[in-house]
Amino acid sequence: MNLNFPLSERDLQAATGAVGDDIEYCVPSDLSLDGRRTQAYLVIGKEKWACVENGEARDAASIAEAKEYRLVNLVGNAILEAVQADGSGSRIVARVSMQHAPRLAYIARVLNDKANRQPVRIYPNEEERFCIRCGGPLVPGTNTCPKCMNKAAAFRRLARVSWGHRWKLALGLLILVSATGVSLTGPYFQKLLINSALAPPAGVSPDLRMFAFGIAGLAFGLIAGELLAIARGRLMTVVSSRIAADLRRLVFENIQKLPVGFLTSQRAGDLINRINSDTNQIRRLIEEVFTTAIMQTVVLAAVSVLLFVTDWRLALIIVIPAPLVAWLQMAVWRYVLRKLFHKQWRLYDRANSFLLDVLGGIRVVKAFGKEEREIRKFRDYNSQFAAATIQSEKVYSYLAPISHFLIQIGQYFILLVGGYLIRGGELTIGELIQFTGYAAMIYGPLAWFMNLPRFIANAAIAIDRVFTVIDEQPEIYDKDGARRHEIVGAIRFRDVTFGYKSYEPVLKHIDLEVKPGEMIGLVGHSGSGKTTLINLLSRFYDVNEGSITIDGIDIRDIRQEDLRSQIGVVLQETFLFSGTILDNIRYSKPDASLEEVIRAAKIANAHDFIIKLPDGYDTRLDENGGNLSGGERQRLAIARAVLNDPRILILDEATASLDIETESLIQEALARVTKNRTTIAIAHRLSTLRNADRLIVLEKGSIAEVGTHTELMRKRGIYYNLIMAQRNMAKPKSGFRTTAAT
Amino acid sequence: MTSDIRFLHRENAVFASSPGGMLSLRVDDETYPVVYLHCSFPHSDPERYISVRLPDDKEVGMIRSLSDFGGQTAELLREHIRIRYFAPAILSIKSIREEFGYSFWEAETTAGTCRFTVRSGGGNVKTVTDKKLLITDVSGNRFVIEDIGKLSDREYRLVEMCM
Repeated sequence: MNLNFPLSERDLQAATGAVGDDIEYCVPSDLSLDGRRTQAYLVIGKEKWACVENGEARDAASIAEAKEYRLVNLVGNAILEAVQADGSGSRIVARVSMQHAPRLAYIARVLNDKANRQPVRIYPNEEERFCIRCGGPLVPGTNTCPKCMNKAAAFRRLARVSWGHRWKLALGLLILVSATGVSLTGPYFQKLLINSALAPPAGVSPDLRMFAFGIAGLAFGLIAGELLAIARGRLMTVVSSRIAADLRRLVFENIQKLPVGFLTSQRAGDLINRINSDTNQIRRLIEEVFTTAIMQTVVLAAVSVLLFVTDWRLALIIVIPAPLVAWLQMAVWRYVLRKLFHKQWRLYDRANSFLLDVLGGIRVVKAFGKEEREIRKFRDYNSQFAAATIQSEKVYSYLAPISHFLIQIGQYFILLVGGYLIRGGELTIGELIQFTGYAAMIYGPLAWFMNLPRFIANAAIAIDRVFTVIDEQPEIYDKDGARRHEIVGAIRFRDVTFGYKSYEPVLKHIDLEVKPGEMIGLVGHSGSGKTTLINLLSRFYDVNEGSITIDGIDIRDIRQEDLRSQIGVVLQETFLFSGTILDNIRYSKPDASLEEVIRAAKIANAHDFIIKLPDGYDTRLDENGGNLSGGERQRLAIARAVLNDPRILILDEATASLDIETESLIQEALARVTKNRTTIAIAHRLSTLRNADRLIVLEKGSIAEVGTHTELMRKRGIYYNLIMAQRNMAKPKSGFRTTAAT
Repeated sequence: MTSDIRFLHRENAVFASSPGGMLSLRVDDETYPVVYLHCSFPHSDPERYISVRLPDDKEVGMIRSLSDFGGQTAELLREHIRIRYFAPAILSIKSIREEFGYSFWEAETTAGTCRFTVRSGGGNVKTVTDKKLLITDVSGNRFVIEDIGKLSDREYRLVEMCM
């Protein structure tokens, strides 16, 4: 992310005058307080900051004047606020539109570090969302600027992926050219038939041999054309599907390698789209290029030549109005019909979602006696949709006959002029028939070519979206010297600082030592950094500062696969794959024996419920284990986690969504599985942590308290307050004292 | 039903602007150097039921209506509401191009000429009152068309495609 924008000569002079010669950071401050977009910049020097605009320093102050700088996200804009050190309140330093808000967040951090006389610690690795060349907006989710997009480069990359299928593509091309050639013979044989057999020139008798030849030629054209079309269709479907499959495989393989950070920043739906619909669009592009596009080009060129060779005057009659007809069709579609259809679909959507709403909530509608009101609403939506449908159908009903008429009128003029030429002996009937045959062939390619630019642009963006994922580099990768390590279970966090966005550190200076076999309970409010801490331990992210070691080895020096396979994880939201219970438990260790699976299930208190199921371990699970209860799913997840006998176990809110009875079953299971394993458990319900050897209380990303339950209760700090809050919450509901963490 | 809303009015609250452009408040005997204003109905009735909040998001009280304060204070409060809810009004639309599932807008607004990208679908272009249209771009910037009835035919057709 750019934090050093170049300044104009005048602004630079004003900036150096205000903050000194060393300008360390410079970012846009593009909104004035009265809501105008401006060309102002916030400039940070060694000791001072200043706002410069139009060659003047509008505002400037010493950085140390404030004790804290913070970015305040407002609605549709953000401000950088400085809390004055002398207690005189706060001031607005800069105001920006939302595209510069992340930049200003970094600057807030820079200013805070400078104000506290600390070294500046920022890692501005977020990507720019604007085109570096033209400053225009990028197509979100890609690095593509719709204005500067190099379509040729995108297609070249596609060509490289398709290279492995080049021979089949070449064969397809050959068939295509032959098919086009064959289709062009039709009008020629028609002419032959008429001129030699059906209506020979005066004084020439009909030639039966030519008649048979003409008929055979026409039949050949028809049959060979169809056969070639079948061959071409089959071949191209195979090739394009294989290329699309290659792309899908590349995208999926790379997604698996990408860091959790990338995957959570991209919506799952968007990724599925890239795997499915974008690759599908590319498949259609390949099919289209190697079937329609090339054929249309050949047809257009060949027909134009044939028309002009046959009779240039008639050819002009065809060629001049043809683009007009094609354009008319396209214009009506683009400017009238598309909008009408769009409106129709929108109304349809609205009526549909209304139906879903009302039918889904029919009990509420009836309970409040609002049936009449809903009927009125639906009647309204329904009539709007009907009106829109009638409107678009009306236009459509005019368009088809009119364009048909325009094409016919071209033919009419050809007949008119052609008839005149025949009378004058300058043209034969056969030639005229041949001519009209070719003329009819020219409209299709012309209309198709008008749509080509849009089609290519869409395909290019699909290619780009697919390659964006393929090109994405994993941020977390194994070092060259990364090694295997049999984990014993000693964990050490040394001065760890980390933020998902590095300007917002979630964990600050964490120092923590966990002995092998120890059970640590992580406690704290939501957002205090508990889950982040265990994400770092699993190395889903790398720390910004400091290090995490396991048995004295930095986790960045251990092979990722090796590290994660020895860490068992049980999350609040258990995810089970479709398949049998056996498959799901075996997920962590595919080669586990049946006995090992049963043992794991027993440890997890899952065996008893599994064995009661009619299909036992062979029970096929619905999507995400929908046919099991929450507690049962959770126990399967525990069995899955312990099957591999992990040396480190992470429990992230593993019992949060369970009732008390189920929880006690799981507690029992957890007590067994955590024995002799280093365990880090997070729980809001503090009773889960009663077996913990030590509790770590996190507060705003730092360790606030450490100790056993009794020690922390005696301390009457954050932990004590959390326990008290839970007890108070439980009291009025249940009427008896909660057993939480006693 | 009991209400625990603490209403602020000219008798119990004094708003002032700090030298650095922030809003401060003295209510009864307490002083708050920085407060923010959050509208309950930012589109349909921005001048009524305004929540006055501290930086840690605690509510100090509510303003029932800006008219409960004198002209100068009401104007100061209005100014701060305008800072919080920044949504330039679109005065005219130069072009809207729809491509790749996004629409690319170029419009003349009260904040100057703006080019922005709006994700298609997902309610990024939606009516918030009978006449008012709210457009949210991919960065989170907001723009409004105060009265869609006042758009020219050409502009309306362009906008309609994105709704």
